[in-house]
Amino acid sequence: MRGKVAVVGAGMIPYGELFDKSFNDMVQQAYKACIKNVDKGFDTKDLKAAWFAQWSGGFIGAGTQSGGTLSSLIGNREIPVTRTENGCPTGGDAFRNGVLGVASGAYDVVLVLGAEKMRDKPSAESLNAVGAAGASLGIFPGWTLGGGGTVLQAMYATRQMFELGYTMEDYARVAVKNHKNGVACPYAHYRFEVSLEKVLASPIITWPLHLFDCCPQTDGAAAVILCRADLAKKYTDRPVYVMGTNTGHDYVNYWDKHNFIEMLSTVRAARGAFEMAKIKPADVDFGEIHDCFSNTELMDIEDIGFCRKGEAAKLLKEGKFARDGELPINPSGGLKAHGHPIAATGLGQICEVFWQLREEATGRQVKLKKGIGIQHNVGGPGFGTSVVNILSRSA
Amino acid sequence: MVQPAPASPFYWRLNPEVYRLIGVKCKDCGHITYPRYEICPACGGFNLEQFKLSKKGKVHTYCLNYAVPPGFEAPIVPVVVDLDGGGKYQGLITEVDKPEDVKVGDKVKMVLRKIDTQRGLNLYGYVFRLVEEG
Amino acid sequence: MAGIIGYGVYIPKFRLKQEDAAKAWGGWSAGEKAVCANDEDIITMAAEASQNAITHAGVDPSEIGAIYIGTCSSPYIEQNVTPILAETLGLGPETSMMDFCGSLNAGGMALQACLDAIAAKRIKCGIVIASEKRATTTASAGEAGFGCGAAAFVIGTKDTIVDIEGIYNYSTLFLDRWRAVTDNFVSDHFDIIFDREYGYEKHIAAATKGLMKNLGKKPEEFTQVVLQQPDARLPGIAAKAIGVKPDKMALGTIVSTLGDLGSASVFVGLAGVLDKAKAGDKVLAVTYGSGSSSAVSLAVGAGTAKGKKDVENLEKYIKRKQYIDYVTYLKFTGTIKRAPY
Repeated sequence: MRGKVAVVGAGMIPYGELFDKSFNDMVQQAYKACIKNVDKGFDTKDLKAAWFAQWSGGFIGAGTQSGGTLSSLIGNREIPVTRTENGCPTGGDAFRNGVLGVASGAYDVVLVLGAEKMRDKPSAESLNAVGAAGASLGIFPGWTLGGGGTVLQAMYATRQMFELGYTMEDYARVAVKNHKNGVACPYAHYRFEVSLEKVLASPIITWPLHLFDCCPQTDGAAAVILCRADLAKKYTDRPVYVMGTNTGHDYVNYWDKHNFIEMLSTVRAARGAFEMAKIKPADVDFGEIHDCFSNTELMDIEDIGFCRKGEAAKLLKEGKFARDGELPINPSGGLKAHGHPIAATGLGQICEVFWQLREEATGRQVKLKKGIGIQHNVGGPGFGTSVVNILSRSA
Repeated sequence: MVQPAPASPFYWRLNPEVYRLIGVKCKDCGHITYPRYEICPACGGFNLEQFKLSKKGKVHTYCLNYAVPPGFEAPIVPVVVDLDGGGKYQGLITEVDKPEDVKVGDKVKMVLRKIDTQRGLNLYGYVFRLVEEG
Repeated sequence: MAGIIGYGVYIPKFRLKQEDAAKAWGGWSAGEKAVCANDEDIITMAAEASQNAITHAGVDPSEIGAIYIGTCSSPYIEQNVTPILAETLGLGPETSMMDFCGSLNAGGMALQACLDAIAAKRIKCGIVIASEKRATTTASAGEAGFGCGAAAFVIGTKDTIVDIEGIYNYSTLFLDRWRAVTDNFVSDHFDIIFDREYGYEKHIAAATKGLMKNLGKKPEEFTQVVLQQPDARLPGIAAKAIGVKPDKMALGTIVSTLGDLGSASVFVGLAGVLDKAKAGDKVLAVTYGSGSSSAVSLAVGAGTAKGKKDVENLEKYIKRKQYIDYVTYLKFTGTIKRAPY
């Protein structure tokens, strides 16, 4: 994979509760932002194919989407477009498909765009719709067990406390870090700090998770342009290269899972991505990883291989994962503060990795050593799907 | 999303699993699961036999949900239970209303409760109840 | 002789002090009652009571040839509940499944049917259940008084612990309270005194008299007596009418603790009696509902049910309680609901 595919442009709209933007508005604005971001300009006729990341379809009210939807919205019906869905990893996995499209030699220039409209319904309704989609929570298909998305991760959070000795304070510390990071990011949904006390005093949504342990319901859209690495200089002198890309899976049904302190979907996705990239976790400078809930970030850090199981909380407390720490995690604010417009999320994370690797992340730049960044999502029914993409500033 | 009513074959097909707890066990790798499968979700093998799940077990993990959909009263307590004799079962614990009431390792047993009502028809299934010692 | 091989009960955990319901409307009522939670109904209660009974009896489900339930609060008018119970108990499709409804003596009629099937040698063993969760409306006597509960008896001829010596039914056309298809709740008594004297007392007395005549017994011979318990006062009045001392009813009195259990009233009271009765005790049980009364004579034997150690008895279920307030009660009964989104 090395030296085959490059990212030459990235754009997104600021995430938030975008009541005055329609789904179409968001798609078109993200597309325009992406094209504008290409250093040497971008002729849209160069596009050869596109992948459209869209999760909810008609679920939360955006209407059923297909590849043709994106095709019409960007005014280009000459290229093949596929809509992909893969749970919360929809965006990151759409990226993977775009990468494979270029790496295969079939398409030289590819657009990957993701968008999600979640706030056309009240957030409580949207949250429960997310939970319903993560179904198979019990013997009856579609039985949500009276829960939304929070139930899925809270089950892990409880067991992490029991087996690893994690506490609500450990979880709250993730929220504090990510909110602090979000303040400096112009695209973040929430740009205010929270203290440990504020997180722990916030209402319990799903024990053991507090309100501020949970990512918000967000509207957003993000896009990237991929190009054959050897043609990238037409668009930019500083492309970012794809080193590895992989999707991993685990059981969808909670009653098949072996434990609730690790997500094997992440473990498998990461392992395969590192193998493809021929690097180790220690080679990575920073990561944008899936903190849909605070406890999830701790689990993700361990599952990706950045430290041993049970160590992440201690290292977080010591400052290792802060933006100015040894291994910054979620400099953008993460899903917690930056937001989680499901299908857009992975692509928004890739935008951030792209800007960080080109040292354009004004006000929130992380220190680069090897110039390697990682993007990760995990989710879908039963958290059975994960995607990991590894990017670097050198080919 | 329109929900199928309990009269739908969607639910009728599950009667043996829901009421009689007939799951499957893989003869190749020993994995126990439900509902019926022809291919083992663990090893991909084709040799599965019927396995009757126990109604008793211990709490493996749980949470208490206070952000419940309409028609529900908070908290709802989802749980994953390690069943006696093998296998795990996911469901709810009934008659628990605060975090102090339940912890990992607590003994539970299945009781039949009303899960839902659609178009006037009730859907029944097992939920767990804490077993009081003594 | 046919008899009881084992039995079981189920009482919900939640309790409402009757005065909490009554005083909201300017009334007053003594005692407390058992209340079903949101996820409970007559089927879920019957399921636990009958599973307890089968475990207590130590029979294999495959030995049960028929399942009967008596209730006035089935959620369905056309759809049996016994098939749901058959699924959860592991009974096969060849099991006779019979729902008895239409009067608070539905359990008595169910018992009669079971005994007939055994006498005809059509089945070896049957399970008879009574389960009640009558809907209550605000400011009604029922709101203060109606309780929830279930009891089940495994009846057969082998390994019995209590003999059923005889059953006598007495029924007339008598309208005291009713629930039509067009009603959501059972009506109040049409006339409290008329209904008590000509309904409750008269039919219980006639059923008892008929039973005594058939068996050549006298009411005074019985060690314990369990009568239909619509409230705390009426059983004493009926006891006088049939000629038994009220203290014989002590073991089986549950109305002040659990409320008026309707079809399950006598069945649950009887379970309470049998838990404490000794070998040689004679028990008289008489049901009443809508002009129908069944009197049953039972003789406690020396045997012990096989699974006796493995089930919770009535006393345990009564002790297992958590009080709720009137507002929570209104939520549990669905009288007040959270508005949708």
